[in-house]
Order: sequence, then structure tokens, then C-alpha cells
Amino acid sequence: MSDLRQYSWSEAHSPDSTFAPVRVYVWELPVRVSHWFIFLPVVVLSVTGYYMHNPFIVGKSSTTFLMATMRFTHLVAAFVFIAAFLLRVYWFFVGNNWSNWRAFVPLHRRQWRGMGGMVAYYSFLRRDLLHHVGHNALAAVTYLVMFLLMFIEILTGLALYSQVRGSSVLNALIGWLPRLIDIQNLRLMHFCIMFSFFIFVIHHVYSAVLVSWEERNGLIESIFTGYKFVPTDELEEDATSRSPR
Amino acid sequence: MLQGQSFTGALQSRGVNRRRFIKFCSAMVATLALPPRYLAQVASALEKAKKPVLVWLQFQDCAGNSESMLRSSHPTVAEAVLDLLSWEYHELVMAGAGHQAEAALERVVREEKGKFIAVAEGAIPLADGGVYCTVGGKTALEIARHVCSNAAATIAAGACAWDGGLVRANPNPTGAVGIEEAVPQAKVINLGGCPQNPANTAAVLVHYLTFGELPAVDQYNRPLFAYGRIIHDQCERRAHYDAGRFTQEWGDEGHRKGWCLYKMGCKGPQATFNCPSVRWNDGTSWPVKAGHGCLGCASHRFWDTRSPFYDRLPNVPGFGVDVTAGQIGLGVTAAVAAGTVVHGIASAVRDRMRTRAAAIQPPPAKPKAKE
Repeated sequence: MSDLRQYSWSEAHSPDSTFAPVRVYVWELPVRVSHWFIFLPVVVLSVTGYYMHNPFIVGKSSTTFLMATMRFTHLVAAFVFIAAFLLRVYWFFVGNNWSNWRAFVPLHRRQWRGMGGMVAYYSFLRRDLLHHVGHNALAAVTYLVMFLLMFIEILTGLALYSQVRGSSVLNALIGWLPRLIDIQNLRLMHFCIMFSFFIFVIHHVYSAVLVSWEERNGLIESIFTGYKFVPTDELEEDATSRSPR
Repeated sequence: MLQGQSFTGALQSRGVNRRRFIKFCSAMVATLALPPRYLAQVASALEKAKKPVLVWLQFQDCAGNSESMLRSSHPTVAEAVLDLLSWEYHELVMAGAGHQAEAALERVVREEKGKFIAVAEGAIPLADGGVYCTVGGKTALEIARHVCSNAAATIAAGACAWDGGLVRANPNPTGAVGIEEAVPQAKVINLGGCPQNPANTAAVLVHYLTFGELPAVDQYNRPLFAYGRIIHDQCERRAHYDAGRFTQEWGDEGHRKGWCLYKMGCKGPQATFNCPSVRWNDGTSWPVKAGHGCLGCASHRFWDTRSPFYDRLPNVPGFGVDVTAGQIGLGVTAAVAAGTVVHGIASAVRDRMRTRAAAIQPPPAKPKAKE
């Protein structure tokens, strides 16, 4: 038996489909809020962080306060980012089935098979896309890796901040890290992980557009509204696939 | 300098008057970051102090820390430090040589056991039984174990004595380590820096003579008064950093105007030391004031961790020394972007093929695919 029913291209795309779509509330408000309050600070953090690495604008005036402004913006954006990250982590444990941590951690064979299917689709070994109501298994694992990288970014960032801030609270929280790994290597990690965000965003936007076009279910809109338009049997399939074995 | 003579007596016999003595004490109180009211306590403690015996050991080193100590031309610091203690053994400057010199060291260890102060300079090689550094037929490790573990306190002067320094830098052919690692039973205070600053060495000794204990230390056993603050926060070029005014290359307009050396690889933001306030050559200057970025020479294992000295970030392992992390990151990002464009074109082609296949087989009425 196949847990993930494979919809042929013609079925999914035919206008007179027998599978009438229903409106499903997939992404709850905290998921959408954390998505955008992770994305926007990452843009700000990348620009200001790159400036702090390599100040590409050299101020001529003594009153511009350019680097200081960049650093201040970086810190404010960083704490917005941390708040959004914590909200998302909280929602891993209280959110619906599609935002729960179980949807991300590949503990079941079903998820590994789904990943294989997606890899086959992306590498043109398979003609059609497997449809999912929430994240597909490969995307979910990618997000899990990204959350891990964000966590490393937060830890290294806080460690770097604790060095300049000199706060005893921060030092108690993160002071162990600069003792374990030299501060220069922490800075290197903090810098390099930024590029993984760039790479991720490129792929994320591309695959969202691609899959949205394939599935025709309002995927792009869903990160604003929370709703997807899913054929009823796909929804049933989704519900049975995650019911206890 | 007679052993047992009081400090004031020694100073007076050298013609150092009360005024210069108090000036020296004030400088020490300031260096130790003590409140001014401690001046009287420091002065009276030094006046009463019987000169403790000091031995200066040299291992795998360049004698730079001895030079740093001896070359300080400012009369108060040099004289006071020299007169503060009875120096019984110092390979670089002592008059005795050969077996006589070694006998003097042996006598100090035997007679002053647990009372004398040892200053160690240089790293201790452990590889191949320690053959890479021997003095008078004994290995550095044997000497360090014998002397440092019998001393009241050991001051590890400079980067090599602290953590192995240059000698221990990758690939470390002699298996060098610092004093603390080589002789764990010794009571060690580390004065990192390449070389160590004589003002800090003097301040540690003054603290020891005044309070009978070594000053408060950080996780590396370095005194907090000297290693507790980031260089960047004390730097006179900091305002240029905040304003975004940077030297772009050596000798350009910004460099001539004294702008921040951040882009030239200055490690000031990653290094802690009191270099900017105590300075060198008796408060004359320090590297950043002289127009060169900080190397972070007082940082742990700085030859490995702070290099390349003229770049902001370490080299990425496996990519050689000519490629920066930024170039690698931008290159990989560009490659992924290009790959995505190719994949997008390929996906469009796949869709065309599917459309054709669907049209040949049972043709369902379908809307035109929007590209």
C-alpha cells in the first residue's frame, strides 16, 4: 500500500477534477508571524552583518556614525529574530499537525520514502510531484537543518555580543562558548552560516513557486493567509498517513 | 642590591627620592585598577617589604620579555622593579656563568623554598624527552618542575610561557607547551603578550608584596586588571570605527589621517589587554597608535587563532590561504543561483513534455500552462 498517493499530472491539473478542493487552515498565525519575523530580520541582519564584516561604505564625515548605526540595527534585528525563533520553537510543541515537530523530524519510514520521492522529482527521475497538505518530507528536513543553523547563528551571535556587552547574565548563559571555541572561529562560523541563509532563500522561493504551480493549491498565498485549497481525498490521505500505525 | 635590605633602603642608596617612589606607587595603583585610597597602603607595604628573591628562567624563547623588562627606559619603573626584588638568577643579564650560576639557582630553591618568586619566559618542549631545550645538561621540563613547583608563585611572562606561543604554533615540531601545562602543580599567573608589558609584571609584583596574594585572574589565570577589557573599547581610533571611517590600504588618506584599522585586519575587537592605556616604552605608544593593526598578541594561542594578521577572519580550512570566507560564500551562493536557473528551465521543459504526453494519450481539456 502506498501512504502517499501519487497524483498524476493530468488529474491534478484538469479543470473538471472530481476532487473538489476544500479550504484548509494549514499555517496558523504564529507560524506565519514567525516566518516573516524570521525573514525580515535575516535581510536586515545580512546587510548590516556584511557591513560589519567588510565596511563597504567608508564614511567621510565625522558625524555619520555609520558603523555604530549598523551595529545597533544588527542587534535590534537580532533580538527580533531570536523572539521569532523562540515563538516558532514553542509552536513546534503546541501547533497543529503540519507545524508540529513530528512533521519535521524524520522518524517514520513514510517520511524517508517521501524524501526519496522529492529527490527523484527534483533530479528529473520522476515525472510528477507527490502532493502534500503541509511540508513535503524533504522540505521539512531542510527546514529542520535551517532551524539548527539559525540556532548556531543565535548562539555564536550571543557569544560575540557577550564579549562586547560584558553583561553577567549573558555571560552566565553563553560564556562557556568562547572558552570552548576561539572567538575568531566563532566569528567565522557566524559569517559563513549567513551564506547558507542566502542559498536557502534562493532554493526556498524557487521550490515554493515550482511546487505551487504543480499543486495549484494556493501555496504561495498560504504563507500570508494560512489557507491552502486541497482536494478532499488528499486531505483524508494526509489524515490517515499520520494516524498511529 | 643586598639580600635582606629593605626596599626603601635600596631605593635611597640608588638616589630615588620619596617623590619618585610615590609616583611609582601611584602608577602601580592605576595599573592595578585600584581606587586611589590604596596608594597609602601600597606605599607603606613596599616600604616595609623585605626584598623577596626572584629567579628568572628562560626556556624556548627569544629573550623578548627580558628585553621588554630591561629596555623600559623610564627610570622609575625599571629601577623600582629591579630594586623591588633580589634577582638571584637571570641567564641573560647575570654576571655569573656556568656551574656558579647553576649553583646560585640551586641555592635559592634550597634555602628560599616556598618563598621565592619565579619568572619563566619561553615554552617547554615535551617531544622526544624534551631534548629541544636543555640548560646545563637538564631539560627545560626538569628545571621548570624543580624550580616552579618550589616557588611561592610563578609568573609566566609572555605568550610562550603562558600557552606555548610561537613555539607551539602549528605544526609545533618540539611539542612545546606553556608552564602551566608542563608543571600543573606550580602556582602560576600568566602574563600573555608578545612580549609581556613590564608595567603589568611590576603591578603583579606590587600586588603580591602589598596584599600577600596574586591579583584576581580570568579563566586563563591572567590578571583581570590587565586582561579584563577589550582593546577596541579603549582604543583612541574607536570614534573613527563608529563613524565608519576606515583605512582601506596602507598609506592612503584614511591611514594618514589616523582612521580605524579594522579593514586592515586589526584584532583589537577580539583581544583583551591594557595595551592602549599602559602602552609601551614608558607610555609612549602602542601598535595601533603607531599605525598598525593589533595582532591580538595577548590572546590565547594567538599565532594560530589570530592569523592571518591582515584579514578580518581566519582562513577556511581546505581552501588555502588566498581565498577568503567571503569569496567562498559569494561563490557558492552564485553557483546555487545559477543552478536554480538551470533547474527552472529544465522544469519548464519537463512540463512541456508532460503536456505533449497528456495530449497524445486521453486528452483532458486543460488550461494553457502559464509560464
